[in-house]
Amino acid sequence: MSVLTSGGFWAFVGVVAGIYTILALGLQVQFGFAGLLNFGQVAFMAIGAYTMAILVVKEGWSTWLAAPLGIAAAAAGGLLLGLPTLRLRADYFAIVTIAFSEIIRYVATNETALTGGSQGTIALGSIGTATQYNGQWSRFQSHVQHSLGLSSSDATMLVLVWATAIVLLTVTWLALRTPWGRVLRAIRDDEDAAESLGKNVFAYKLQALALGAALAGVAGLFYAWEFSFFSPDDFQPLLTFFAWMILLLGGLGRVWAVPVGALVFGFIFAGTRFLDFVPFSWFASDERAYLRLIIIGLIIVVLVMVRPQGLLGNRREMVLE
Amino acid sequence: MTMLLDVDRVTRTFGSVRAVDGASFSVDEHSITGLIGPNGAGKSTLFGTIAGSLRPNSGRILFSGRRIDRRSAHRVARLGVVRTYQAARVLTRMSVLDNLLLATTRHPGERLTTLATRPRAARAHERQTLERAHEHLALVGLDSHADAYAGTLSGGQRKLLDLARVLMLEPSLVLLDEPMAGVAPALRVQLLDHILALRRDRGITFLIVEHDLDFVMQAADTVVVMNEGRVLVVGAPAEVRTNPDVIDAYLGKAH
Repeated sequence: MSVLTSGGFWAFVGVVAGIYTILALGLQVQFGFAGLLNFGQVAFMAIGAYTMAILVVKEGWSTWLAAPLGIAAAAAGGLLLGLPTLRLRADYFAIVTIAFSEIIRYVATNETALTGGSQGTIALGSIGTATQYNGQWSRFQSHVQHSLGLSSSDATMLVLVWATAIVLLTVTWLALRTPWGRVLRAIRDDEDAAESLGKNVFAYKLQALALGAALAGVAGLFYAWEFSFFSPDDFQPLLTFFAWMILLLGGLGRVWAVPVGALVFGFIFAGTRFLDFVPFSWFASDERAYLRLIIIGLIIVVLVMVRPQGLLGNRREMVLE
Repeated sequence: MTMLLDVDRVTRTFGSVRAVDGASFSVDEHSITGLIGPNGAGKSTLFGTIAGSLRPNSGRILFSGRRIDRRSAHRVARLGVVRTYQAARVLTRMSVLDNLLLATTRHPGERLTTLATRPRAARAHERQTLERAHEHLALVGLDSHADAYAGTLSGGQRKLLDLARVLMLEPSLVLLDEPMAGVAPALRVQLLDHILALRRDRGITFLIVEHDLDFVMQAADTVVVMNEGRVLVVGAPAEVRTNPDVIDAYLGKAH
């Protein structure tokens, strides 16, 4: 149980929660405010991470140019997905988003020349060359570490991720309080009514989808930097559903519910790692990995039963017709 | 009188069903026109084609001489043709005030680009909209409900909110889809007074689909009777009431 008291471990849990916060914030904009049922959020994370890594390794770009381009590519992916599909009914749109995210993952797996294929970013460069997309980032990180006098790189990453998350949360929160955000909420409530009030519903949905995708792109960048390596397997649909769990835990239509949901989810997810006593110790460690998901699922089911609006959501809003 | 709306041989099919089948009629400026007919006559479909939510298969719809049948619903609304729905489509999870604040066009605060480049103009427009919203709330007598969720309002109050929201858009033509359905008798009188006053004071033209014939006969200058997707008769209320074809198609079945 010594890991429980290790600062590095909890810093790691905090970093992952921060990355999930940014990923789930994108979903909050899309679903919590504009009503778009996106089950393919992980695809935009993959587009952000891969665009940055490919530009740095293959094209020799600076990280500080490649990273914003990664975010832009994720947003462009959102536009590309939205243009032909946003006129579909909500449930059909949801199905298309799952398919889109799997298409992105399969392309990343099979376009070996571009992405390194199933071997991941290790195979990005030509054979025999060390391929690192995070050299510049690591230097930046140690620079920050020394300037702030932090004890470890884990702690530095924690600060950087959460500083970014808090900036993005604040900007999103402010943007959604404007008349623009009001139109999004109107579309979530009744898009026909919004349309008959003269709102270009399609254009607003497209903006929400692209902005949510851009946020997922940011999450993808931090994911890439945190792990120094990634492969298409890192972008399984499961990640999208983790983001959904965070949204349900925190509450819909509330920006600040996202970090709360992500932290609770992160600690439950990490905490279930320590279930190695009876009766859990009866199971082998690989079986316990699945047990964790079952336990997390159970917690969500119980939460939905006793507190359907999530931790910070508004129950009154749920029952109004 | 000048013609404001011209529906010209409009047809709209759903699969093999010809919901609207070559319907033609026109609406004069500042008039109140009632659109009646038995269930399935095509009234709601025709409404949809005028408001831009449905595209006609053939025929033309002109508003102030401009074709609107190929424009999307939000662009038709911005031209000044605003519709309501049978069951008032208020935004239930938003406050009554927010419902009204949405009813404005060309708000710089509603676009991300102008919001960023012209924040002052956005704030000014918002202040002005807020002022107008309160005026319109007072007009329909909902001022005490400003901060309540619209979903907590009764059916009749929702109709009033819907009407206030439509008026905020300063429309020249208002399409009312069964304004009296589900409205308590006390509110009916109020609603009728509102419509008559709006025509008189603001010169708004109304096209009203309504099953309550007493209301139509009281309010309308002209009545258009539809049956099976076609326009059967157009005339003054008194003429329509005694027209044998109308009695056959509509009143005959109802009584």
